[in-house]
Amino acid sequence: MQPPAIRTEHLTKRYGSLLALDDLDLTVNAGEVFGFLGPNGAGKSTTIRLLLGLARPTAGQARIFGTPAAEVATAHQRIAYVPADVTLWPQLTGAEILALLGSTGPGVDVAYRDELVARFALDLSKPGRAYSTGNRQKVALVAAFATRAPLLVLDEPTAGLDPLMEREFRRAVVEARDAGSTVFLSSHQLAEVEAVCDRVGILRAGRLVDVATMPELRRLHRTEVLVRFAGPAPELTGVAGVDGVQVDGAALRFTLTGPPGPALRALAATDVTTLTMREPTLEEIFLDYYGEEGR
Amino acid sequence: MTAVGVGTARAAVTRLALRQVRRPALVVSAVAAGVTAVVVAGYESTAGTALDAAALATLAENPAVRTLFGEPFALDTPGGFTVWRTGTVLAVLLSVWAVLATTRVTRGEEESGRWDLLLAGRLAVPTVLGRHLAVLSVAVVVAGAAAGVVLVAAGTPPNGALRYAVGLVLVALFAVSTALLSAQVMPTRAGASGSALAVLGVGLLARMVGDGVAALGWLRWLSPYGLIALVRPYHDDRLLPLFVLAGAALLVGAAAMALSGRRDVRAGLVAAPAGRPPRTWLLGTVGGFAVRRMMRPLVGWSAGIGAYFLLIGLLATSMTRFLSDNPRFAELAAQAGFTELGSVRGYTASLFVLLAVPVGVFAASRLAEFVAAETDGRLTSLYAQPVSRNRLLTAETLATLAGVAVLVTVAATATWLGAALVNAPLPLTAALAGTWNVLPVVLLCVGAAILALGWLPRATAAVGALPAVGGFLLQVLADSADLPGWLAAISPFAHLAAVPAESPGWTAARVMIVIAVAAAALGRLGNRRRDLLG
Repeated sequence: MQPPAIRTEHLTKRYGSLLALDDLDLTVNAGEVFGFLGPNGAGKSTTIRLLLGLARPTAGQARIFGTPAAEVATAHQRIAYVPADVTLWPQLTGAEILALLGSTGPGVDVAYRDELVARFALDLSKPGRAYSTGNRQKVALVAAFATRAPLLVLDEPTAGLDPLMEREFRRAVVEARDAGSTVFLSSHQLAEVEAVCDRVGILRAGRLVDVATMPELRRLHRTEVLVRFAGPAPELTGVAGVDGVQVDGAALRFTLTGPPGPALRALAATDVTTLTMREPTLEEIFLDYYGEEGR
Repeated sequence: MTAVGVGTARAAVTRLALRQVRRPALVVSAVAAGVTAVVVAGYESTAGTALDAAALATLAENPAVRTLFGEPFALDTPGGFTVWRTGTVLAVLLSVWAVLATTRVTRGEEESGRWDLLLAGRLAVPTVLGRHLAVLSVAVVVAGAAAGVVLVAAGTPPNGALRYAVGLVLVALFAVSTALLSAQVMPTRAGASGSALAVLGVGLLARMVGDGVAALGWLRWLSPYGLIALVRPYHDDRLLPLFVLAGAALLVGAAAMALSGRRDVRAGLVAAPAGRPPRTWLLGTVGGFAVRRMMRPLVGWSAGIGAYFLLIGLLATSMTRFLSDNPRFAELAAQAGFTELGSVRGYTASLFVLLAVPVGVFAASRLAEFVAAETDGRLTSLYAQPVSRNRLLTAETLATLAGVAVLVTVAATATWLGAALVNAPLPLTAALAGTWNVLPVVLLCVGAAILALGWLPRATAAVGALPAVGGFLLQVLADSADLPGWLAAISPFAHLAAVPAESPGWTAARVMIVIAVAAAALGRLGNRRRDLLG
């Protein structure tokens, strides 16, 4: 049986008195797309630096396809990486950077690279210093996807991309998964994670709070509904997916999880004057989630 | 809500500039004061009574002496001797530091994007630059004044000390203005530093030629270093050259300020090229890439070192003839650490030893640049490749050593060429032996830099340059003042044989190489275990 793409055991990192990562046990199976969520400073980038052997763990260990992360010459044969903050050599053009990374890296699918350059609408003739944040990220993304590496480690790769490019990114992730690659995607963009990930890990203050599959995460999505009505208040008790009902005069608030059909049927008998539905922000989900964890 | 006054904003920018400049400024000031103090205090024991008017005249007439060490005057006074011995060195040190500090805190900060936030506030580019200019000016005034105060305290006439100190300050101010101007023109810190240093380098060559060739003496009026020599402190105490220099500094500074308002933030007046076809030479391996990154700086260093040693070669006969005709100066020179200057081999050997300083600094600067690329994230994509850290470091070290080999070979070839042009007896093999002889000291720099890179990466430049620069300063002090023998023996220069006049000191070379290799091995051990920066 193939070893997991990523396996960490008691992985811990201290910077002086700051505990950046606390006893992380995580397994990412080969072939899955794994979302790594957490607020800023939660330890996402620290974890990735440990996985890549850029930093040394204070305790514990990480393995990439069974190889210790510190043995980078072996482990990196199967990794492609996109850092959160891409810095390019200012005097090298995009084409030269791709040539350098292609010839020193684990291998490159040139035809796929050319296709990605076209899809990401990347101008390769510019020197590194002339690229905007988004274009620097595109250079790194093209270089990483073109390796067809068995493990892609992507650290907030879409923070500087426009919506069109973000869509291309999602396509490329799906293609990588279909080709059998594992994708480790660190992000705080929940929509992106929801669109492409099979499983997510949630990190807070250096600790892994939970690992959940996407359906489990969707359960956390709770839509906030505000109903204004004339006449008697509707009866929502016991309706599937409805929670936290508050009546305030002629207004009614509740949260909705899952399909809205049962709630709408229950409201049909009422004379509804306005109906407002609002998706919760990522922050609200996180706060909600952490709140439940705290209880 | 309280409104922030423009005055408060200006004060904040001034404090920012001060924080970035104050520590190196203090170090430079301490060096200026320290070197001056040691030489003026050691005057009695080295030169003191050995010179009379006739000897002075002979010395002043020799073009080679004038070219290399500047026009000597008032050597019979402690002040005049100190100015002759240290004036050019301190002027070069102060002005080079001034250029590097100015481009670092202006164009460097702007290029990195850190000024975007600052300039999004209520202050415009000229105001922010003006505050930095003011702080840098104060810094160089302090450094120049430090040398002047030491000279006055040593009992030299205040008039001469004042003119000398003002001259040092004005040269450094000219350097600050020039760097500020090139920082408006060039879009990158490296480009701005390079072009400003090129102006200073041409100025230094103009001074040397003007001092050496009587008919071209007017060239000195066009060079900042020539102008401060023309002041002749403790002798003529002329004021006109100081006014010319002040005028030039003001003019260049005003031009920089005027241009600063006419460009976009992060852009220079010269636009960076927008695109070009790929040039993929040397991008196939990490070793090739290390060589490619070194090429441009190596060309600059080769040009500077080559020009200097070509001049050394050209001066070989006039210098040696003079010294063999004037044995008293040969004796004096021997006391100052230049032995056997009477023969071409002896003369070139003394100067080849100096080569260890620039080549050692080159080596340290390459490894410091490697750390800088790690810190700002340029190397991250290579560290993520299937290449171990120490293999990357090996590639960088080998490229640096290749660059070192090129530099010492360029120096030998240029000296040989110059000597051949004036029919001085110096075979190419002798010149090569002389320049390759400094390699153990350069290897010490490489070893020290790797040691720092493994355990204290931010100190790579300083620790790496220490064997060459610190060792050389220690050697100068040991020659000029009576330092205890064990202290002088710490300097690697104390153990370098005068090749090609003598045969190489193989034992000392072996010891230095062993130390260098041990330091490098220890550094590589640390490099394997540490966290990468950035």
